[in-house]
Amino acid sequence: MIERKLNSRLTDSRVDSFPSRRKFLYGASLAAASLALSRDESAFAWTAASQSAPAQEPVPDYRIEIAEIEWELSPKKKIRTAAYNGQIPGTLLRVTEGKPVAIEIVNHLDRAEIVHWHGQWIPVEADGAMEEGSPMIPAGGKTLVQFTPRPAGLHWYHTHAMGNRDLKRGLYSGQFGVLLVDPRSNPGAYDQEQFIVLHDWEAYYSASGDGSLMVEYVCGSINGRMLGHDAPIEVREGQRVLFHILNASATEPHWLALPGHRFKVLALDGSPVATEASVETLRLGPAERITAMVTMDTPGVFVLGEARDEFRSAGMGTVIEYAGRTGKPVSPQAGKLKWDYRAFAKANPAVHTPDVTIPLVFSSRFKGHGALDKWMINGKSWPDTDSIVLREGLRHRLVFVNKSTDDHPVHLHRHNFELVSIRGAATSGVHKDVVIVEAGTTVEADLLATNRGNTLFHCHQQDHMDSGFMALFRYA
Amino acid sequence: MVLGAAIPIARAQNNYEIQVYGADTVAPRNTMVELHSNFTADGQRNFVAGMEPTNHAEHETIEITQGINDWSEVGFYIFTSERDGQGVQWVGDHIRPRVRVPEKWRWPVGVSLSTEVGYQRARYAPDTWDWEIRPIIDKTSGRWYWAVNPALERAWHGPDVKLGIDFSPSVKVSYDFTKQITGGFEYYADYGSITNIASLHDQQQQIFPAIDLNVSPDWEFNFGVGLGPTAATDHWIVKCIVGRRFDWSRKKQ
Repeated sequence: MIERKLNSRLTDSRVDSFPSRRKFLYGASLAAASLALSRDESAFAWTAASQSAPAQEPVPDYRIEIAEIEWELSPKKKIRTAAYNGQIPGTLLRVTEGKPVAIEIVNHLDRAEIVHWHGQWIPVEADGAMEEGSPMIPAGGKTLVQFTPRPAGLHWYHTHAMGNRDLKRGLYSGQFGVLLVDPRSNPGAYDQEQFIVLHDWEAYYSASGDGSLMVEYVCGSINGRMLGHDAPIEVREGQRVLFHILNASATEPHWLALPGHRFKVLALDGSPVATEASVETLRLGPAERITAMVTMDTPGVFVLGEARDEFRSAGMGTVIEYAGRTGKPVSPQAGKLKWDYRAFAKANPAVHTPDVTIPLVFSSRFKGHGALDKWMINGKSWPDTDSIVLREGLRHRLVFVNKSTDDHPVHLHRHNFELVSIRGAATSGVHKDVVIVEAGTTVEADLLATNRGNTLFHCHQQDHMDSGFMALFRYA
Repeated sequence: MVLGAAIPIARAQNNYEIQVYGADTVAPRNTMVELHSNFTADGQRNFVAGMEPTNHAEHETIEITQGINDWSEVGFYIFTSERDGQGVQWVGDHIRPRVRVPEKWRWPVGVSLSTEVGYQRARYAPDTWDWEIRPIIDKTSGRWYWAVNPALERAWHGPDVKLGIDFSPSVKVSYDFTKQITGGFEYYADYGSITNIASLHDQQQQIFPAIDLNVSPDWEFNFGVGLGPTAATDHWIVKCIVGRRFDWSRKKQ
């Protein structure tokens, strides 16, 4: 019999079951305190909704409360940050493809906020990007977001507010959570399901080096805890563990490894891949997601974490423990870090002729070694970037030309695209909504324009986005 | 870093490493190798107190700095001098540990503290053993950069031991004209003993218009021409620093 074990660190925030779904105990008194806090907040939220929701509005399926919290990354590292439902990551939202969902969002902050449903093909009003025309949630206000989830797969929700120069806002904060859209059928065969959410904390500007001002971090976490300060993920030999992995970092790409094991990649950004290749190390740019199966065939105790020592020692890791095994966890050894989207593509790339070709050239303007670069698309920075016109039903070839010396994880809202060439090599069968365009390279991707409405395109590095790396696609 | 110094300042040769320190330290598992080339176009022409003239002397200094962690490094110097007919002469060696306030502490300015100790031959400096402590404060803001090094020096062996602690500040202000080209001014001085500041005539005062080229994270290049307006200072010096960084931690990607 297949055992389906949910990683309950990412608790479900369905309003009628939120307290009872919080199954996972961190141990000791901290867990009790944390659990009690969540229950209290949930009870408060339910009461508030019952009293204030107009009669004609549907009862929300989920509620997200945005508020400042104090969060313990480790006993020695507490941070104060804005988060969803009093926890990091925010509560797991698990919905079914094609089944409408209503989510109430309450903003307890003293500033306007907005929540973006990353990876969902939904209307502008629900998408959560003010640049498209989605409404902000005023300070102290609330809103009800309704949409029909599609496509299925691993997606996420997060703040789409600008960070600007404030390294405690935007995605530098704890405002992110997993949105898992289950398909209507064929949920897959696995024994255990685990959610892994990466994030970097306590950002600061670094002016060292020859480049421009850069964002660096004091520490990192997986599922809101630094390495060694979370209960291990318990597995049994022979189990097939399905990992849903999200890089929720504001700016950092991450390399993830589990010593002695390989990841069979099933989906990228929620979309099933053409070739389910096995790899030793996963690379996730900011906002990228990977769904991967690991067969637990090497008994022991291991660190699932950053392949690079400096990030892992700063907290980005969690322990995987086989039943009956103890001892010091074996950490990843940083070998050659290699990643190629084409490993998951069709063996023989399909060739499509685009109806429209749209060049998007990324470049930067130097503002000083002690300043952030100004980022440009086709020579202009947001809000002065030219709108890109899409024609409904047509195949648009987006040609991402990165003339800068930085890699860029570029993201398109409300759609995804199929990679058709990387560094000049043809490919097909890999669909994504975020793709890393490496420095000095060109990536081509085909977009089928099938979701009318304003569509934001931007680099998902918060500092780049805040410095002009955005453009709006409009339908003709 | 100054070799010798103290009164009589005019006798010292301090143009082996002409550099205002920034607060950054070399990253852990990185090694920085620098060659400091300083040519005195117009300097002391005579032997004074047994020391070699500086006029038309070419001073080559090799500096090797190893990063220890994200807040410390150790530097090592080999000083040499070359004048017509003498060939390359070894002058001395110094060692320089340095600590800094880590960037992740998010202080509004960069702060570090360097200390340096070493030996130099009496032909090139009146004091053969000396020690320096150098606070370093700097700030990068937009295109502007400034650094201040209010260094203090103490002779351990030689005629200046009795003079106590010497004050030798240096300052740099620069502006990023482009990402690759930074230009500005560097100021170096030696005011003599902190308890007995020398007269302006006897102070060392140098101002260098200088450029830095930021062509690669692995390379550093600094070039300047220095004017010394006081009698105690070499009047014209041309300096050049070429540095190469070796990163032993770099992952293959």
